[in-house]
Amino acid sequence: MRPDASKKLAAVAPKKGPNPAIIGAVVAAVVIVGVVVAIMVGSSGKSGSGPAGSAQPAGVTGGKGGGIFVNAATAKSNAPTLDLFEDFQCPSCAQLEKVMGPEITSMAKAGAIKLVAHTLSFLDDNLKNDSSKRSANAAACASDAGRFLEYHAAVFAAQPEQEGVGYTDAQLTQFAKTSGITGAALTTWQKCTTSGQHAQYVTDVQEASSRAGINGTPTVKLNGADITKTLQTPESLAAAVKAATK
Amino acid sequence: MGPRFAGRLPNVIGLLARLILGVVLIVAGAVKVTSPAVSARAVQAFQILPFDFAGYVGYALPVVEIAVGLLLVLGLFTRASAVVGGLLMLAFIVGIASAWMRGLTIDCGCFGGGGTIGAAQTQYGLDILRDAGLLACAVWLVARPRTALSLDHRLFR
Repeated sequence: MRPDASKKLAAVAPKKGPNPAIIGAVVAAVVIVGVVVAIMVGSSGKSGSGPAGSAQPAGVTGGKGGGIFVNAATAKSNAPTLDLFEDFQCPSCAQLEKVMGPEITSMAKAGAIKLVAHTLSFLDDNLKNDSSKRSANAAACASDAGRFLEYHAAVFAAQPEQEGVGYTDAQLTQFAKTSGITGAALTTWQKCTTSGQHAQYVTDVQEASSRAGINGTPTVKLNGADITKTLQTPESLAAAVKAATK
Repeated sequence: MGPRFAGRLPNVIGLLARLILGVVLIVAGAVKVTSPAVSARAVQAFQILPFDFAGYVGYALPVVEIAVGLLLVLGLFTRASAVVGGLLMLAFIVGIASAWMRGLTIDCGCFGGGGTIGAAQTQYGLDILRDAGLLACAVWLVARPRTALSLDHRLFR
């Protein structure tokens, strides 16, 4: 039988360091706690950010978080639906409005399209401000006053050169005046805007649009089909609308 | 070069692999961790995972990236960290390739941002190339976790 050398071996073995299992468990625990906290913090910002009021603005179509049916009064029954997904702080949206806006507006007024506007607000998170939500709320208030399209045009016309500068409250009020909201209607609009009356609606629109796979702005849909990439000229849009008219 | 240096070279390569993969992960996590909503939307824009689950992945991902990155830079649990880092890179490569093949035009959101962009702005090829390089670092470390200047060496040996 060989002599037991374990004691001798243990004496010459290098001093044992800390236990890897314990350190590993601590590291794993820290990471798991970090992940749980991150998920909780991330999820918390999503719901109930508009305690001031959950009122739906005038013209909402398609249930919770649906867009504003801008021209319900004039749209012909056989007109195709044009869905517009835009963020008031998105430069390409301002560009789209510059090029296509007049044509879209005139088709809406003539009833050739059912124009449904979805005012998104995800850029607030990217730009770390709240101008998309505030302007979207203000536009929803303008819809209550029957002036959505005018307000929408006024905001995009005044979009700052540099993305992220945003809109001041004074600017939002100026847009209302430019849109032709006056007198008692302006007072109502101001109250609606200041109190964030449609803030929850604005959040709902973003949520519903994200769920529907709208991952960027502008997105333009004609009868549900994404036609954003085919938009070249106002004429091509008018032709597409004509082709989609039953 | 003498035999001493030749013997150490793989350890130095391992150190470089650790630092490259680790620093990139830390940077990618740090720029995203302060905007969880943006990170969630970036993952959702891939339209691979179910919407809500993709959101949770978006919230959790920056934390995991920072944690794995720190462990790699320190050289602590190098092999396990490299396994996680490598799996992350593999997942990113698959996700980006899938978005590319499906004709989505999105920013990978790897370092913040994300979501739909112009078709001409996409850079799927570059993104995949970068992640493949990082995956190579991870593979090296899984195969040969012994590296120069590591905590593993200081603490456990």
